[in-house]
Amino acid sequence: MLEAGTSHQIEATVVGKIRAILAERGAAAAAPLAGDSKLSAHLGLTSLDLAFLVSQLEFELGVDPFAKLVAITDVRTIDDLVDAYRQALVPNSHKKPDGSLADAQKRAEKRRLRIDQR
Amino acid sequence: MASERPKVAVISGGSRGLGAQLVARFLDRKYSVATLSRSKSEFVNELLRREEANFYWASVDARAAESVQKFANDVAARFGGIDILINNAGIAVEGVLPTMRWERINEVVETNLTAVLVLTQACSRVMLRQGSGTIVNISSVNAIRGHSGVAAYSATKSALEGMTRSLARELGARNIRVNSVAPGYFESDMIASISDEQRQRIARRTPLGRLARIEEVANVVHFLASEEASFITGQTLAVDGGITC
Repeated sequence: MLEAGTSHQIEATVVGKIRAILAERGAAAAAPLAGDSKLSAHLGLTSLDLAFLVSQLEFELGVDPFAKLVAITDVRTIDDLVDAYRQALVPNSHKKPDGSLADAQKRAEKRRLRIDQR
Repeated sequence: MASERPKVAVISGGSRGLGAQLVARFLDRKYSVATLSRSKSEFVNELLRREEANFYWASVDARAAESVQKFANDVAARFGGIDILINNAGIAVEGVLPTMRWERINEVVETNLTAVLVLTQACSRVMLRQGSGTIVNISSVNAIRGHSGVAAYSATKSALEGMTRSLARELGARNIRVNSVAPGYFESDMIASISDEQRQRIARRTPLGRLARIEEVANVVHFLASEEASFITGQTLAVDGGITC
């Protein structure tokens, strides 16, 4: 487990786990992964792959940012995922302005109201 | 990893009744067994003395997600993983719904449904990491047939069966099986309060003419959790002497 979890270590761990999943399914493990690569659209990860990834990262890093801190529905790219773990492990690190669970709940409530008003 | 250590079974509500029967059975078959319950029974005390290396018990509020997650992680750290989860803990509440107190409704939903979802989430994460596992949910014939006076209880057990089917689809790709056992009436604390007349009526309505023995239910749970059932997932198996047929 990382004690303080430097940003670089976190990124390396997250990217390493993603590479392992891609390699498991025969995708080109050596292909470059950009921070803005979309987990689903570009890399083909399913929601179960993401759950598998989160369970592995919880074991490796000792935290689950998606229990309370961050809404998993906001995670679309590798950077989003790395940011979530940075928020959990390095509390003073950069935090995305719309990444909190409370913000996600507010957006969901707005969507629900729009549907109700139709 | 799984072949190098004894298999690990988590059984909720393992301090008495069917749960205790299952704990004893899996320990007899050389599994490591972990259980959680609100209070320690004499059965649990005896196992803690006798099976120190292979048995783990914790007093956990099964509705508290963080405590349950910690329990699952503790079990995985102690025994090396979680291969089997048996969602056995549950309470029976009786009474017609129109006059049932809200507290009783909340209690049965939280115990029979919310707590099951929370424990299943925690254990399934460990199973995902392993790439294998099997989950057996203890449902009820009341999830299959309507009976007066058990609407709230039936609602929770039917919900478990919905969870069983959806979760089987969710987790199948990672080699995790999910099934339910729907017992009919069997000798346990849960039916200790019913009268002899009620027992006789149940027996008359049952094609096999009697209530189940607790080990007959445990046999089927054990089967579904075992490799013998390696291609069965998303199913409910009624163990009811034919009462729902």
